[in-house]
Amino acid sequence: MNHRVEHGPSFAWLKVGLAEGEQIQAEAGAMVSRDPQVEMSTHLNAGQGAGFWRVFVAFLVALARKFLGGETMFVNRFRSSGPGEVILAPALSGQIIHKQLDTTSKLFVQTGSYLASTGQVDTRVRFTGLRSLLGGEGLVLLECTGQGDLWVNSYGGVLPLEVNGAFTVDTGHIVAFDGSLDFKVKSVGGMKSLFLSGEGLVCEFSGRGVVYIQSRNLKALVGWLSRLLPA
Amino acid sequence: MQIEIQYNPAHSLATVHLNAGESIRAEASAMVSMTRDIDVQTNAGHSAGGGILGGLRRAVVGGESFFQNLYTARRNGAHVSLAPRLCGSMVVHDLDPSVDLFIQGSSYVAAPDSVHIDTKFQGFKAFFSGESVFFLKASGRGPVLMNAFGALETRELNGELILDTGHLVAFTAGIEYAIGKASAGWIASYLSGEGLVLRLRGRGRLWIQSRNPNEFGSAVGGLLPSRKG
Amino acid sequence: MKYEILDSPDFAMLQLVLDAGDEVVAESGAMVAKDTQIEITTNMRGGLLSAAKRKLLGGESLFQNTFTSRAAGQRLYLSAAAEGDLKARQLGPGESLFLQSGAYVAHSGGGLVIDTKFGGLKSFFSGVGFFMLRIQGPGVVFYGSYGALHEVDVGPEGYTVDTAHIVAFTEGLNYTVRAFGGFKGLFFSGEGLVCDFSGNGKVWIQTRNAAGLAAFLHPFRPVETKGN
Repeated sequence: MNHRVEHGPSFAWLKVGLAEGEQIQAEAGAMVSRDPQVEMSTHLNAGQGAGFWRVFVAFLVALARKFLGGETMFVNRFRSSGPGEVILAPALSGQIIHKQLDTTSKLFVQTGSYLASTGQVDTRVRFTGLRSLLGGEGLVLLECTGQGDLWVNSYGGVLPLEVNGAFTVDTGHIVAFDGSLDFKVKSVGGMKSLFLSGEGLVCEFSGRGVVYIQSRNLKALVGWLSRLLPA
Repeated sequence: MQIEIQYNPAHSLATVHLNAGESIRAEASAMVSMTRDIDVQTNAGHSAGGGILGGLRRAVVGGESFFQNLYTARRNGAHVSLAPRLCGSMVVHDLDPSVDLFIQGSSYVAAPDSVHIDTKFQGFKAFFSGESVFFLKASGRGPVLMNAFGALETRELNGELILDTGHLVAFTAGIEYAIGKASAGWIASYLSGEGLVLRLRGRGRLWIQSRNPNEFGSAVGGLLPSRKG
Repeated sequence: MKYEILDSPDFAMLQLVLDAGDEVVAESGAMVAKDTQIEITTNMRGGLLSAAKRKLLGGESLFQNTFTSRAAGQRLYLSAAAEGDLKARQLGPGESLFLQSGAYVAHSGGGLVIDTKFGGLKSFFSGVGFFMLRIQGPGVVFYGSYGALHEVDVGPEGYTVDTAHIVAFTEGLNYTVRAFGGFKGLFFSGEGLVCDFSGNGKVWIQTRNAAGLAAFLHPFRPVETKGN
């Protein structure tokens, strides 16, 4: 398999060359194009080796999110019967970064930022509370572990920041962060700020590790546009 | 006439420099700015039936009008600057009478009248997603200004390719296309998020955009306040 | 206080480094990230009455956040909501800049005055959405664009700009707003109005406009149902 990110940093897409029998998994809707010998099949993203119960829960959650808004958790698997190319792209503008995972590391990825993965990369959904489960505020994270390649996308530019002590990031601006970091989701500055500041929730990181920050935020865009809209 | 494109690939602006007497026809909503010595004729549609086409197209593509303005320079050194609605790139294709160009509806921006624009309405509406495909055919001679949502890739096709319809900008005659579901079944196509795909086959040039307006619209539109019907 | 604009022009983001006591005021929702020794306080802009009046005009949120640093070398990252560029403009005492309200991101300097209550410029946008602000120094103002920021030098021969694409212009320019050629956009908010500039000065144009994006997204909005 060979892979290349092109057209970054603003409108990046991922070009993957698959050899016979090779496979890559991508979030639903990500396909731009594929050679005819590359086949696509759709699956529920319940993680690697999931038993019946995990698949069942994942299915319920997926349905809930499909109707209440949020990531759908369906993925497409692309497998080639000969050398073939598939191109993948996210819905929003921005960059794509590639991470090589091994069994010693763990990466948390905001679900909207997951693009694709290969090999034995396992993705498990983690909610930071009931509200985030139902597509409201809060972080919905994919805990990515295992061996393989992982691609995540940012809305806007991506800035990797080394945390050494403490750092605060608006939840809408988080792409991904190292599993070595501790994190806590809270409101930005007390009750008044929660409702009035427009900042919503923030994530306070502590410890050591890298947090990947995106320079745009879908909720901020929606807020900005909402003031202009006709009924 | 000279078309200068700046700020590719994200925020492209096309400045059309016109000599005295030269004209360019563009969507009315594409005008950003212009020098004072340009005459503007409004509501002039390409070919016959501009009004009917406008209604049809708005129903199909949604939210997009097809009212065109004709910009004519009174003096040398005049210019009009144009931009599409979404972020992305623009490109000029120099059309030759021997090879027609098929442009996806929302990708067309502007062209002089030496280029003849015809509609080739596809009308294939996907059952669940409401996605539809709509082409324009450009024939004749002259520069055709097109926009891409995202970055633009030009590919010389010689064979076959399966392309998500929302990523198509344009292709030259010589390439055959068939529209189909992304997967074998409707439900699978819906869950896959891919909707409609194009099976392209033949020899010619293909322009692909790195983002899909329908996916972007769904991602953001779903979060906006609801509208009245 | 130091600042730097990253990733210009595609997805510009403002990086500020504040020392103890430094203060930056920003539009609601502009914060990306910050070091922990920066405090945020939320206020209504310019008092309750003028805030309420401004909310009726639309295009601006009622609240703004004041970021105050309690230590040295504290980083603050701010960005505009739209995809595009960001610029900083240092204004001397009494120097003015006219700025489209949706473009305002943040400012610093206690002497900076943001004025919305003057006539003449109300006609810029057809009634909904954004309006023009007059910013007067001393201080620095940070503003963003939807699309790239394109600078145009206006001279005596003049220049015409679609009002939805105007971000800012310098004091001293003459301006006349008029309807443009009978085209009525599907939605209002500046579509169909142009501004003829003349005189001597600079105009900053954005290569995309919010009304166009709103029009594109309109069919994707959920449809109101009873009890929605």
